[in-house]
Formats: sequence, C-alpha cells, structure tokens
Amino acid sequence: MNQDKNENQARGAVSRDAMIEVRDVSMRFRLTDDKIMSLKEFVTRTIAGKIQTSEFWALKNVSFDVYRGEVLGIIGHNGAGKSTILKVISGILKPTKGSVVCRGNIVPMLELGSGFDMDLTGRENIFLNGAILGYSEEFLNAKYQKIVDFSELGQFIDVPIRNYSSGMLMRLAFSVATVVNPEILIVDEILAVGDANFQEKSRKRMLELMSGGTTVLFVSHSMGQIREMCDRVVWLEHGVLQAAGETQAICDQYENR
Amino acid sequence: MKNPVSNQTFPMRRIFTALLLGYWVLVVLLYVLMGYQLHFRESQGYISMANPDAGSVELTSGAVVEQTFSVHMQRIQSINVQWGAYYRSTNSGTVTVGLYNGNTGECLLSQDYDASAFTESCITTVTEGIPLDDIDNLPLVLRLTADSPEGGGVTPLMASNGAAEANTALSEGRTPFALTLNGQPSDGLLSFSVIGEDRTWIGLYYWRLAAAVWAVLAAYLLWCWHRWKSGKPTLLVGALMALEKYRFLIKQLVDRDFKAKYKRSILGVFWSFLNPLLNMLVQYVVFSNMFRFNIAYFPVYLLCGNVVFNYLAESCGMALMSIIGNKSLITKVYMPKYIYPLTRILSSLINLLISLIPLMAVALLSGLPITKAFLLLPIPLILLAIFCLGLGLLLSAAMVFFRDIQFLWSVLTTIWMYLTPIFYPVNILPEQIQTIVKLNPLYFYVTFMRSCIIDGVSPDPHLYIQGAMVAVVMLAIGSIVFKKSQDQFVLYL
Repeated sequence: MNQDKNENQARGAVSRDAMIEVRDVSMRFRLTDDKIMSLKEFVTRTIAGKIQTSEFWALKNVSFDVYRGEVLGIIGHNGAGKSTILKVISGILKPTKGSVVCRGNIVPMLELGSGFDMDLTGRENIFLNGAILGYSEEFLNAKYQKIVDFSELGQFIDVPIRNYSSGMLMRLAFSVATVVNPEILIVDEILAVGDANFQEKSRKRMLELMSGGTTVLFVSHSMGQIREMCDRVVWLEHGVLQAAGETQAICDQYENR
Repeated sequence: MKNPVSNQTFPMRRIFTALLLGYWVLVVLLYVLMGYQLHFRESQGYISMANPDAGSVELTSGAVVEQTFSVHMQRIQSINVQWGAYYRSTNSGTVTVGLYNGNTGECLLSQDYDASAFTESCITTVTEGIPLDDIDNLPLVLRLTADSPEGGGVTPLMASNGAAEANTALSEGRTPFALTLNGQPSDGLLSFSVIGEDRTWIGLYYWRLAAAVWAVLAAYLLWCWHRWKSGKPTLLVGALMALEKYRFLIKQLVDRDFKAKYKRSILGVFWSFLNPLLNMLVQYVVFSNMFRFNIAYFPVYLLCGNVVFNYLAESCGMALMSIIGNKSLITKVYMPKYIYPLTRILSSLINLLISLIPLMAVALLSGLPITKAFLLLPIPLILLAIFCLGLGLLLSAAMVFFRDIQFLWSVLTTIWMYLTPIFYPVNILPEQIQTIVKLNPLYFYVTFMRSCIIDGVSPDPHLYIQGAMVAVVMLAIGSIVFKKSQDQFVLYL
C-alpha cells in the first residue's frame, strides 16, 4: 500500500476520516490464449509473433472512499469486479492504474485457513496462520486460549490437522481469523461454518465484528443482509462504478433496474 | 494487534549507534583474527627448484659457486639449496650459504652447515636473517663456499642447461640467471628455490580503509536519519522496519519449513548430521581408492566442500519453488513476496549450522587443532547465505514465468558441482580451466572455510573482498529482478 506520510498529513483535514481511498483504480488482465509456461514456447512464439493478448479490464476508473467506522457494501452481478476490488484493496493485486491508500491494518476474510500446514498440529497452525494474517506474537499468546475455546477443538488442538475433519478445520480457521478486532475488515459473504450450532455462533461473531465500530467492506449477494448491515453501498457493473450512496436508495435502484 | 511500528516507538537511535560502534568492534576483531595473513601473502614471484641432472663442483676449500638471480617479491621467507653427497660418509668441514647484494657486494645473510650431516639429495634451508626485506628486483648473488678437504666436500646440484630456459621466462629488465663455477660461467641453473611474501595492500592501509568505510557508513546513516525524521523512505530504514514487522512471520515460516522437513521421519533432525557424513563417506571411499589426490585431511576437505555445496543446492532448490509452491497464499493474503524465498534460505541455513557439528567433530578427530581462525567461519557462511538469497530471488522470480527453470537448475547444479573443487584439488586442473573454476563464487567460500579449518589461518584478504563482492552483486541482481517482476506474479500463478 502507498502510505506516504506527507499525503496523510495533507488530507488529515478532511472532515470525515477516510480509512481507504480508492482513486481511479483500473485493473487490466491480459488474456493470452494460453499461459506460456516454457522458455522455448516463449521464444518461438515471440519470433512467430503469435502471442495474442486480448485485454480485459476488470475495473475501470473506480474511485470511492471508505470512512472510519462505516460498513460499506459492494454489490453487483457475477464478474462485476467485486472480488477484484477487494484484492486490490487488500494488496494482493497491484492496480494497473490508479492508487489505493489504506490507513490501518486490514484483515481480509476472503478465504479461511490460508497457509495451514497439514503436517503441523492445531496449536502450531494457530501461530502460523496468525502470523500470516499479521498478528503479533504477544497478541497470539494472549488470545491463544480464546481461540481454542471458540473453536471447541479441546484436546484435538495438539493433533496434526491432517487428521481433522473438514468441519474442525473450518472451525479452527474461523476462530483464528475472527479473534482480532481489526481496523479494516474485508468480508466476502458472511461465513457460517461447521454444524448448526457453530454456524449460529460464527454468524453471531461475524455480526458482532461488523457492528463493533470497525470499518467494514462487505460483499454479498444477499440484498437482505446488505440492507440490514450497510451504511452505504457501492454498485459495480462490468468493472465500472455504477452508483454509490445511501443503502436503501442504491439497493432499490439495483433491484428495479 | 500488529506491532505499532511508528517513528515514536522504533529505537532507531539505538540501532544506528549500535551500528556505528559495532563496526569498530568488528574491525578490531577482524584485525586480531586475520593476524599475519592480513599483512602478508605468499608471493607469486617465487623461484621453484630446478630439477637437478648434474652436480656442479665439489665444494672444497677455495671453491666458489655463485648463482646470480633476482626475485619479484617483497620479502624472502626461505632459500633452499639441494646437495649431492655422493653417498660418502666421509664428508667434513663447514659449508657456507651466503646471499649478497649484486650491486654493492654487501652480505645480506649467511648461514653455516656441517657438511658431515649432509645426506644424498638433501635440501638445506636458510633460517638465519629471515625474513629478508627490501630485495625486490635487486640483483642477488647466492654464494656457496666451504672449507672441506679434497674428496670430503659436498656438491650443490644443478640443472645443466637450465639457465636458458629460466631466462626466456623472465620479463624485460630483470637480472638474468647466471651461474659461475669457480669463476667459470656455466649454462647450468643451480637447484635452489626462493619462497617469499608480498605485503598485502589491505594490510598496509587497513586502518585507513576501515576509517574511510566508517566515514561512508556514518554519512549514509546520517542521511537515513535525516530522511527518517522527515518521514521519507530509505532502503535501510525500510529494511529495518520490515524486519521488525515481519520478524514473527518469518520465524513462523522458518519453523514450519524446518518442522515439516523432518516431521514424519524416524531419525528426524538427526538426518541433518547424518546426511553430510554419509555423503562424505561415499566420496571418501570412492576418491581415496579410485583417484588418489594426496590431500591432507581428506575427510575434512570433502566435508567442507559438501557442506557448502549442499547448502547452495538445497536452499536455492527450495527457493526456486517458493513462489509457485505458495500459490494459494499469494493469491489470498497480502505479505511481501520476498518473504517466501527468504524463509527458505534461512531454514536451509539452520540445516547448514547443524551440519557444521559433524564437520567440527571430524576435524577434531582428524587431529586438527582449534585455532582462532575458527572464529572467522561465520564470514564465509554469511556471505554464502547472501549469495544464495540473491540467486534464490532470481530463480524464484524466473520460475513464475518459465517453468523450465526447474529442469535447467538441476542440470546447472550438476555442472556447478563438478566445477567446484569439492573432492579434487584445484591445481590438478589445466591452467585455463583453473581460471574458470577460480571465478566460481563457491570456490571462494569453500576455500575460505578450508583455510580456516584445515590450515588454521585466515585466507588471503583478497578472498574476503571477492567473496563479499560476488555476494552483494548477486543479491543486487536478484533483488532488482524480483522487485521488478513481483507485481506480475499473481497474474501468472
């Protein structure tokens, strides 16, 4: 992320505190007919002039701000660029044009359990996954018991996770990911994992996180959830910002289109 | 939450002060540890002993053998002469070997020997007046005299037509070799050798160099400090901040690599000891029976080479796969991508450190003494790790775009292994190939380690500079390529 301190100070005067500034972001993907995976192919095709690339703009000049403490919904159809904008904001993708400024640490809840190592025990994976999500050692030590309790894994925490059931894995992953109260939370659909009991518990935890005063970027196909949770909504269509504004108005527009 | 790393809490002043003071501690430590080798190195201007095929004259009372020559070296460490005794046990008298200044006739050194102690083809070595300074390119006369009776004298040996051959190799303006036997000029060349040393440039200017580097360092730190205070980025501050921020993550990833490696094996971490030992054993059996290289402390020699080469092969092989192997992480979570190859290099480094234990054990069992030069061992290891980090960054980035690299790399490591003197001495190679091998970065690190462990002395100061340059250049190339291409990774995974 660009964290230019001078810029910080200059824009600090804005009345509402922007946590994320998305400025003119465009993201281009080059679609080659096939990915070139070998040197020989690359050379022969370059010589033959056969590298055909068709460009695809997943995002075109998208700009919006996310203010401190608000829940911003992002809506749009499949392929509208919702996931791409989340990846750009969380730093995984670098935009082709434009810039994103983030003030505060982001916890992306895009995919649970990234970086789990099947050969390590649950305990070791809590620390590994926590480190990958950017938690500090002291924080993890302090919250370790809370994570274990929430995951309801009990004695299985010292067993290599290759022996876990998929439900247990998801419970562990969810517990690690949500133990933190991040400044910026990115949620791609509300996750409800595990059995009925745990689903209810995890749903509650998600709602608790999202209403707890943190800044939230929320992507969902459920208009009900969007209307219920969000303060403002951004509507993307084919990579273009269609509308942004007050939740109910935009949602009505989106549904009556 | 994440560590709040900000201008206020980061102990930049402490770190910079520690750098500036720690530098001098290292400089003094290096001065002590390098000792004699910092100041002198074996001169390339030595004269090697001519193969004798004849005797010159019997050195009896009044007989004089004079060899005129000059050497291109700064101080003479030893002068050796080979003698014929004609299997007589009746030799007697005193033999005098003297070295004279050819211009002024001044005696530079002189030593007497008891002729009766000479055996056939024995070699005498001058020990008095050594080391002899200020003789570079001076015409010198080696004068051999004796007071032996007729029939009881020893005879210095010579190569009967050696002068012409030796003189053709001389450069312009040098004093030619000339031998006179009792005042009569001869075409021969006395069987003698001169070995000496040159002062190293680094040794002469050590403190001034150290001060100059310190001044540059201080200026750079001051500049960084200034920019940091005004919130501008610098490479050093950025690296320090990243280190602080990602220390825990790196630790966890290294931990994972290490645990995962031995997780399901019975002997576990013990393999880190066993692997280099078994490798060494195989090579020892093969090479001490098939080819005899006549290398002192051959097991230690082999282990040094193996440890260094295995580190390169393992760490770079792992770094190569680090980006494409962590595809699921890279496409889902943000963290600096250099962390992946970096952790592979570090986890292999732990392996390397463990394999030093059997190396030390074998060295001690072979009867090698522990010297202060052992304390220099971190230097080649750190430089090797930096070199491998650069190479690993380069390979991992290239691998994303061209999957052929993994096959090329396995061929390359094989070639590299044979071009590194792991199990053979470098001097058995033809001259041209030696030059290539001596450009091999691994050669520096292997030679450095062997010098510390087997010879028990610091290597030539040039080796420090060459090793460091190669490491820094490799790191620079690797980092630049990696930095330029890293934003594209996620699109090609």
